[in-house]
Amino acid sequence: MTPTPITPDEIRVLLVAAGLFILGGIGFITRRNLILLVLSAELMLHGVSLTLVTFGKIHQNNEGQAFTIFVLTVAACEAGLALSLVLSLYRKSHSLDIRLWSELRESDVAPPDQGESLPAEIAKSAYDGIPKLTPAGVAPMGSAGRS
Amino acid sequence: MNVWMQQHPATLLGLVIWAFGILWLMPSRRPGQIRSQRIGISIAAAGLLLFCGSFGKSTSDLASEVMFWVFAAGALGCGVLMITSRNPVYGALWFALSTLSTCGLFMVQSAPFLAAATIIVYAGAVIVTFLFVIMLAQQSGAAGYDQRSQQAIPATVAAFVLLGALSMTLQSAPPQFVRVEIQAPVVQEQQAGTMMTLDPNKPVNPPEPDAIPNYLSRADYKTPVGSLKGLGRSLFGDYLFAVELAGTLLLVASIGAIAIAPRREEGAL
Repeated sequence: MTPTPITPDEIRVLLVAAGLFILGGIGFITRRNLILLVLSAELMLHGVSLTLVTFGKIHQNNEGQAFTIFVLTVAACEAGLALSLVLSLYRKSHSLDIRLWSELRESDVAPPDQGESLPAEIAKSAYDGIPKLTPAGVAPMGSAGRS
Repeated sequence: MNVWMQQHPATLLGLVIWAFGILWLMPSRRPGQIRSQRIGISIAAAGLLLFCGSFGKSTSDLASEVMFWVFAAGALGCGVLMITSRNPVYGALWFALSTLSTCGLFMVQSAPFLAAATIIVYAGAVIVTFLFVIMLAQQSGAAGYDQRSQQAIPATVAAFVLLGALSMTLQSAPPQFVRVEIQAPVVQEQQAGTMMTLDPNKPVNPPEPDAIPNYLSRADYKTPVGSLKGLGRSLFGDYLFAVELAGTLLLVASIGAIAIAPRREEGAL
C-alpha cells in the first residue's frame, strides 16, 4: 500500500477544473453586469465540483460526489437569492450596472476608477435602508473599545 | 520552479497566449475602439490548445480520449466566450453550453447522476430564470456597461498566475495517494470452500465499520463509484444529517428570496 502519484489522466481533469475556476474568477472581477457576475460565480462552482468528483474517483469512494450534490444545493439557493436581490436592486436603479452601487463600499476606500464613462447617477434615496460595509481593520462604531 | 519551466515550456507559453487572447476579447474600455473578435478568438484558442496539448500522455482508450477533449475544449472555450461576451444574453447561453460540457466531463469521471442533476438544475432552472431577468431588464438591447470591463489586466494576470501555480504544483509535484484496489472477492470464495466452519450466510471478510471512516461511502465491486445505489447509500447513510440540513437550507433560501423580491404593490419593474 505505497502511495502512488496521480496519473496524467487525472491531472488533466484537475487542470481543466482549475481553468474553469479562474475563468469564473476573471469574469466576476471584470464584468459589470449583475447577472453575469452571478453566472461567473456559478462557473467557479463548476470548477470546484469537477475537482471534487475527480478526487472522489481517485479515492474510489462516493464522498466527492455526495459533497458535489451539496454544492449543487447551495448553488441553487444562491441563484434564487441572487435573482431576488438583483430584481430589488434593479427596481431602484433601473440598470444592471454594478458601478451604480459603489456607494455601498467601505467609507474609507477610494471610489473606483470610473474611466472615461461616468455612469448615470442614482438617487441618494435608493440607498435608504441599505447598510454600508463596515470599514475593515478598525473597531466598529459604537463598540465597547471606542471611547 | 525553474525545472518546471524548462520541462513544460508549452504550458507556460500556452497560459501567456491564452491570457493575451482573453485580454484582447475583453470589452474595450474606450468606446470608439472595437477590436476584431475573430483575431481574439484565434489567439485564445491557440493558447488554449497549447495549454491543453502539454497535459502529458494519457493511457485511456480512444473513446474516452475523444470525449475528454471535446468536453474539455467545450467547457473552457465556452467559458472564455461567456466572460468576454458583450451581450449578456449570449453570455448566459455560452454559460449553458459550458455547463453542458462540464456535465460531459462528469460523465467521463463516472458521475452520471451528477451530470443529470447539474443539467436539470442549471440548464433547466438557473439559465431560464436569468435569461428571463436579462430580457426583462434590457429590453432596449445591450447596455453601455456591457461594452466595458473593469480592471481587466490585473484580474487576468492574477488569475493566470494562479492557474500557472496550480499547473506547476500538479505537474512537478503531483499529490500521492494510496490506491484502493476494488476487486471481486474471488479469493474469499476459495477460502469459503476450504474453511467449512464459516457461516455461509455471513460475508467472509466483513469490513469493520469502526475501522473505516464513512465506510458507507466506499465503493465496492458491486456498486462502483458513481453508481446510483452507492451514491444513495452514501447520502442517506453517512450524510443523512447533512441532507436534512441541506433541505432546511433550501427552505430558508426560498423564504428569503420571496421576502427580498419586490412586491407588486411596490411598483412594477
